[in-house]
Amino acid sequence: MPELAIEVRDIAKRYDHHVAVRSLSLNVPKGAVYGLLGPNGAGKTTTIRMLLNIIAPDSGSVRILGSPHNDPKLVDRIGYLPEERGLYRKMQVHRVLRFLGELKGLRGADLDRRIDSWLDRLQLRTNGQDWGKAKVDELSRGMQQKVQFIGALLHDPELVILDEPFSGLDPINAQALKDTVVDLKRQNRTVIFSTHIMDNAERLCDSVCIIAQGEKVLDGGVAEVREAHGGRMVALGLEGAPTSAVQLVLNNRALVARADDSNRYLEIELAAGARAPDLLTALVNAGASIERFELVRPSLHRIFLEKVGATHVEDGMSGQG
Amino acid sequence: MNKLFAVIRREYLERVRSRWFLIATLFGPVFFGLLMFLPALISSREKASGDASKIIIIDATGVALGDRVAAQLGGGLSGTGGQSKVQTVRADSLAPAESLATKAVIREEFKGYLVLDSGTVAGHRARYSGSNTTAIFDMQQIDRAIQHEVLGMRLEKSGIDPDLSRELTSLNVNFTTERLTKRGRGGSGNVSLFFGLAVAMLLYMTIFIYGLNVLRGVLEEKQTRVAEVVIASVSSTKLLLGKVIGVGAVGFTQLVLWMGMSFVMWKVRAPILAKMGAPQMPGGFPDISLATGLILLAFFVLGFMFYAGLFAAVGATVNSEQEAQQAQMPVVLLLVCSVMFVQNVLLTPDSALSRTLSLMPFSAPIVMPLRMTVAPVPALDIAMALLSVALGAIFTTWLASRIYRVGLLMYGKRPSFGEILKWVRQG
Repeated sequence: MPELAIEVRDIAKRYDHHVAVRSLSLNVPKGAVYGLLGPNGAGKTTTIRMLLNIIAPDSGSVRILGSPHNDPKLVDRIGYLPEERGLYRKMQVHRVLRFLGELKGLRGADLDRRIDSWLDRLQLRTNGQDWGKAKVDELSRGMQQKVQFIGALLHDPELVILDEPFSGLDPINAQALKDTVVDLKRQNRTVIFSTHIMDNAERLCDSVCIIAQGEKVLDGGVAEVREAHGGRMVALGLEGAPTSAVQLVLNNRALVARADDSNRYLEIELAAGARAPDLLTALVNAGASIERFELVRPSLHRIFLEKVGATHVEDGMSGQG
Repeated sequence: MNKLFAVIRREYLERVRSRWFLIATLFGPVFFGLLMFLPALISSREKASGDASKIIIIDATGVALGDRVAAQLGGGLSGTGGQSKVQTVRADSLAPAESLATKAVIREEFKGYLVLDSGTVAGHRARYSGSNTTAIFDMQQIDRAIQHEVLGMRLEKSGIDPDLSRELTSLNVNFTTERLTKRGRGGSGNVSLFFGLAVAMLLYMTIFIYGLNVLRGVLEEKQTRVAEVVIASVSSTKLLLGKVIGVGAVGFTQLVLWMGMSFVMWKVRAPILAKMGAPQMPGGFPDISLATGLILLAFFVLGFMFYAGLFAAVGATVNSEQEAQQAQMPVVLLLVCSVMFVQNVLLTPDSALSRTLSLMPFSAPIVMPLRMTVAPVPALDIAMALLSVALGAIFTTWLASRIYRVGLLMYGKRPSFGEILKWVRQG
């Protein structure tokens, strides 16, 4: 068992009219990039706030970096970027960052040096322009988001918690953020972020946890999760439209549970008990001219849709980054 | 501790750096200057304005009382004679004379008209109608002139030589007031009244302005959503405390700057007053001992804490300026309530009402300093008032921190009173 950065046991949070989280347990290994996935309203933000002891769980326990989550010393070891983002609008960027740094116990010249180096790194301070001297008001939304990101990382935290970090970022800024996450991972920091953009999760995360309606649907390493849900999917590419004989094979419920036409190829889920070679044989016998026949592991997106179900997916859900 | 200091510093510096602070700090002394010079200007008005002689005197006495009054109004026999127009009429033609005089007043040729008749000579009545009846000192002068001349006439009638009578009746008592306290003479009654009022208003204004400032600060953190980042790094109690102390320190700075500037203005007042054509301020400044000054500051600090806690709690329960306007009403009313009774306290500083108000935690910060400046207050009362406000401040801070913690992350619907009570219980 690897050392755990976050250990959550059966936490629950109820409000007057709904249950936000019901009995959730999580293990996040140290040094991992961990994705908390789920549709809007699944309880991701509530979970994150409970991790940070911003709101108290009704029941259950949380241990962060080996201490109970209400240990006051913990806050300086955690960096947090909330989903609801904002800064003091009338304040100078540099002063805001100083304030955020001071709240994490940093001070003096060391703090200024860190701020400058981050402003350089995220290109808020270039030869021509120093946004650090501007007021927050004068920054674009994307730039403000970068400033907040800096605020969360100034004190070089061991654990970084990012709530929907990619929302509202253009591709360039999103890439800068991804690069930073990868850097943090290299420095053996633990990063946990929530998202409903599966593509980002698939590319960045070592492990994921999918939650819906306040409950865990599945969790584990991304490779394992895909492995566990793989082997039953076949990508089939045909030359031209399928002939009636081929269509007959595809309609055979003993072999094919479902076939989704993805335009360029068919995504086929094998029927229970059926094996891929059986399907291939049947297709060849039916005279299909096959361009591609590949056993594929399903994308997180597909697993997500399958597990959470379209009914839990609200508007604004996106499979692609 | 460092984090609390970081919060205090941000709250303090961001406000002190603002243009608003600069303007208020510079404007303040102008206001206090007015407060200081106003009494002097007003006391210069205590002499009648000269309008008193610009009247018509309708004399139906038949004994030329009108001429005597006119002479008296114009500065006595030695005076310049004045501008009063005396109309001698018969008692039965008073009415037409009055209607003519009324027209003259409406045409603004005269300030008013005075009716003297046999009743006046008998010492019963005299009537005045005019456009300046609210000018108390002018009215007093006319009144005094009539009394003086009727008395003079009576003396002469009883056989006293007119010169002797004039000598006997020419009284001009200059009545001044002076406050006595345990520590000795404490300046004129008027001045200490103004000073007490100024102190009460100053405390009220600073508590009000900076209390609202705390509310705005909390609301800003909620509206910009910055609260969540901050609350993840520092406890809500520390954040609240830092905010209250930081904003309070701004108010304190402003008070001290104002006091300093006012002191300088006081030192150089003579030439300024002379330029404004006002005489020296009567009686001098009430001498405030260091202990009294410290007690006044203590009332400011504790009173501010008391109200700042309540304002912060209000700020945490609302989502917009509009909601804040409504929600702050109960707190504002509490504060205004103590100012509403200022006059009662000034007139009767030792009444049961004044004593009660000066001991209640919500009104003591304003009423007790007011009482202290106008009347001697037992040390025990002051100590009790300070204790009461201190306990009140601890209570409101405790209450606020509980509401604050939950309210800060609540967006959307404004909580009902019942819900807020629940937050306090769960805190």
